[in-house]
Amino acid sequence: MAEETKNKNPEIVGFACSFCTFKASEMAGSLRLKYPEGVKLIQVPCSSRVDPAFVIKAIFEGADGVFVAGCHPGDCHFIKGNYYTRRKIVALKEMFDAFSMKDKLRLFWVSAAEARRFIDKVTTFYNDIKEKKNEGEKA
Amino acid sequence: MKGKKLKTGEIENALNRFLNDEQHLVLGFKKDESDVSHQIFKDSLDHYSLLNPVFGANAALYLRRLFSKGSQVMLMLRPCEIRAYIELHKLTQIEREDVIAVSIDCPGTVSSKEKKDDVPTEAGQLAEYFKSSDSMRWACSVCSEKRGVVGDAGIRIDNVGNYWVIPYTDKGEILLSLVQGEPEDVPPELLVGETKRTDKFQVDMATFKKDFEKCIMCMNCRDMCPVCYCIDCVFHGDEYIPKGDALFNKIFRTGSTKMPRGKELFHLIRMYHVSQTCVGCGACEEACPQGIPLTKYFKGVSERLQSIFSYMSGRSFDETIPYVTFIEDELKDATD
Repeated sequence: MAEETKNKNPEIVGFACSFCTFKASEMAGSLRLKYPEGVKLIQVPCSSRVDPAFVIKAIFEGADGVFVAGCHPGDCHFIKGNYYTRRKIVALKEMFDAFSMKDKLRLFWVSAAEARRFIDKVTTFYNDIKEKKNEGEKA
Repeated sequence: MKGKKLKTGEIENALNRFLNDEQHLVLGFKKDESDVSHQIFKDSLDHYSLLNPVFGANAALYLRRLFSKGSQVMLMLRPCEIRAYIELHKLTQIEREDVIAVSIDCPGTVSSKEKKDDVPTEAGQLAEYFKSSDSMRWACSVCSEKRGVVGDAGIRIDNVGNYWVIPYTDKGEILLSLVQGEPEDVPPELLVGETKRTDKFQVDMATFKKDFEKCIMCMNCRDMCPVCYCIDCVFHGDEYIPKGDALFNKIFRTGSTKMPRGKELFHLIRMYHVSQTCVGCGACEEACPQGIPLTKYFKGVSERLQSIFSYMSGRSFDETIPYVTFIEDELKDATD
């Protein structure tokens, strides 16, 4: 946002829990499933490692969208990490809502076996962002 | 509600009795000829003032990392300062053991930047003054908790101008026992009442950028914020806002950049980090050399974020800060 993004295709930064979502993305690779090139995954040891400062930083460094993805509630490798994530990201979403940019952030729960769900979620998010971006350019 | 009515000069006598012990201190306000400011009193009071109509800094700032045992400090402060103290206690920055926190009803304050000499320091006169003048700080005019109902004891003011000491905890009884007189029923009508909450805060990025255009990144707002307590702030070093070589490397990679860069980043990250603990005292705005309406943003965002978890910063010692706790069965619509 601070720096103008030159290319038309959006860039999306994803923070993926190394036990679930990152494993799901690896599985998607071995199943030869494709997800958009603009999605850049960052592996984190647990979704609760994501300080909302990372998300804000990513957006101000030029990402068009950010998602945080972790294990389903109750399935956390560290027992309760994703409960904290849920609270933190819900609050962050509320803050983004106050600044009218709620659509830039999403939270997913994807387990290690849900490669298709991962592809589905990421592609939908990518397409939504792309649509918004193109609309903005036309207007 | 039982409390003791204070006769004229009785609070000074009570605090002097408290200060007779060598290990006892009082943090309150001192009235000079031209100024009212924070003062830590030892041995005896001197030009003591119960109310301070001028807001310069939040005194909870001076209490951070107060862990020593054996002394006793009595805080005679505004409700927003006591609430910041309670938040700092939850963040393990202050030990509660040696502190007696007394919140005093606050009719409102004027900014230290536009200080006028004619502002009275007596409650009734001050309330009258604010009725006839619009010099009250913005943060105070939208403050929803000006009542002295937090901490160990409170000093409330009734409509006639009498001061009442009301204990809330066992420690508050210490102050009550120092005051002479018999406990009576406190009148239900008080000078400073409950205030309704304002509308939900909502802006867009364009307004936000315009408001913060003047920011020079001095970070005074961070340094003067009572609850922004991290010793190792994320904005120390080059990680979040590059300087020097790191900045030049970054510009070679990304292209021309307006300076100072990262102000929106700095303020949004700080806004999130203090969101659950912000007491809306407006010390950040007071410290800002550029006159940015910081309280509007920080207070607005923190009220929205606190309302998700039905939390209010500094309301009580028992509530946990929402980010460090959770309920398993909540926030069903969190995911997209």
